[in-house]
Amino acid sequence: MTGVESVAEDQFMRFLAAWALVHETADEGWKAAVTRGADQEPGSMGAGPEAFVDGLSAMVAEEKERLKAALAAGEVAPPGSKIDLESKLDDLLFEVSELRGRLESMQASLDAVLAEGGEPEAG
Amino acid sequence: MSRRTRVIARTFVGHWVGALPKAWFGFAPRAARRAAFATATRCALEDLGPAFVKLGQVASVRPDLVPPEFVFEFEQLQDRVPPMPAAQIEAVIAREFGRPVDELFSTFDRKPVAAASIAQVHRATLACDVRPVIGEMMPAGTPVAVKVVRPGAARIIKADLAEARRLISRLDRFGLSKRIDAQALLEEFATSLASELDLRNEGRVSDRFAHDFRDDPYVMTPRIAWSHSSRSVLTMEYVEGWRLTEVDDAARGGVDAFHLALHGAEVFMRQVLVLGRYHADLHPANLFVTPDSRICYLDFGIVGTTEPAERVNIAQVLAATVYGDADRALCYSAELGLIVPEHKQQQVRERVGELMDRTLNVPGKPADVKGFATGFLSVMADARVPIPAGYGVLVKALVTVEGVARAIYPDIDITQSAKPFATRLIAAHMARPDRIAERLPAALRAALRELAS
Repeated sequence: MTGVESVAEDQFMRFLAAWALVHETADEGWKAAVTRGADQEPGSMGAGPEAFVDGLSAMVAEEKERLKAALAAGEVAPPGSKIDLESKLDDLLFEVSELRGRLESMQASLDAVLAEGGEPEAG
Repeated sequence: MSRRTRVIARTFVGHWVGALPKAWFGFAPRAARRAAFATATRCALEDLGPAFVKLGQVASVRPDLVPPEFVFEFEQLQDRVPPMPAAQIEAVIAREFGRPVDELFSTFDRKPVAAASIAQVHRATLACDVRPVIGEMMPAGTPVAVKVVRPGAARIIKADLAEARRLISRLDRFGLSKRIDAQALLEEFATSLASELDLRNEGRVSDRFAHDFRDDPYVMTPRIAWSHSSRSVLTMEYVEGWRLTEVDDAARGGVDAFHLALHGAEVFMRQVLVLGRYHADLHPANLFVTPDSRICYLDFGIVGTTEPAERVNIAQVLAATVYGDADRALCYSAELGLIVPEHKQQQVRERVGELMDRTLNVPGKPADVKGFATGFLSVMADARVPIPAGYGVLVKALVTVEGVARAIYPDIDITQSAKPFATRLIAAHMARPDRIAERLPAALRAALRELAS
């Protein structure tokens, strides 16, 4: 290994170490914010920017846990997936049922008109 | 001038003259003066009968058309009239379906459970199985509430409406009604009346609401029996429960009042900020708490809508308000059409900020949304800033949600559900790929500037 290669490798390792340090510090900061946010009394999020960030971190952590649970249960649906299609189908079924409701109501009104005027002759 | 017009004019003038001592003959502070005349106007509307009571109820959700003191005074108007004889109601049902009542219903209670100026409601049981649009089958024998439009109701109300129109145009000529946009109010009333007289509209909105909240186990609306419904008859599932005024009994029966109150506020946020359709006519009589801890929504008479672009701005205003940031609240209010002229901005911002501190951010006390809204609308009225219609309806609806939530759980602070809801919505908006793409270049430039310095 030449001296130049050794220096380059050292710098690269240094860069990775710096990246790991930033990550670790951010992670510790994040965990501390989540803990502080979880300990907040209701309504304390409005006390200032730091309290807001703590509260928001706790909310994001809660959402993360929900996401983990949903992923474990296979509930998260990318567009075009089965659950997404089921939701679209659900909306469509509602439209059809709504239309059936309208038709039933119109049929009742039509029956009333026919009863009032006498049944029309067949054919 | 017709006899009825003279009666209308005399009733209003009589009550307003009676209010003069309370208003110190015009020398009382502005808010006290308006409150005195608001009470007098409410009494006049009550004296003049159902058409005017309904007109007042329409005004009570329109702070863009009438001053805030009138809006909150008119909330107290109760649309109650003596019931119509059951025979006349049964005749309407028989005419609407071409069949006698006993063919449609196996029992029909001739004593109404409610009687209002447009319709009255009777309890009955279905004579045959009915398949609703949403939910399980309603088998024969299911208890139902049959809402029937009172014969002649429309004619009487329309006649009074015409008289009121004539009177208002005369007042307009003298410039006496400049604080209340009475013509706009009458137009609004005519539109809402036409919609209310066709009960199928209410049924459709109710079904849509049930579909929107199908995944929410704490929310319900009555199932509609469409084969037993027409323009003048709406048959819906009879819901057992407590009116909000009787919720103490419910709490004793094991209902989790705190959770229900908070959830009620969240349901409203979801309607406004996610679905874009919301119940704009909430009041304690339109809500039930069921023994299985659900909130039942009734009477979808007035429905507000929000467009996708509006929703993010509403969330921003809501978040800024509950976090006490007057600058941001006014900035995003401008996006919703509430434009404060530049020369008044400083003064309005200061007054709104003080108001937020006094009503929403008092340590140890729950936020007072009604107090804030009344004060906010007064600040705008004093600064002669017109309130956009949608904005006004929304402010009023939010106040009503607080009232309703407090009827369930008196110490509730609805900003506790507004804060996370609005924050999540804004975060979702900020995370949209198009938004990130729009902001990324500027963020990178800022980061590079920071690194270079």
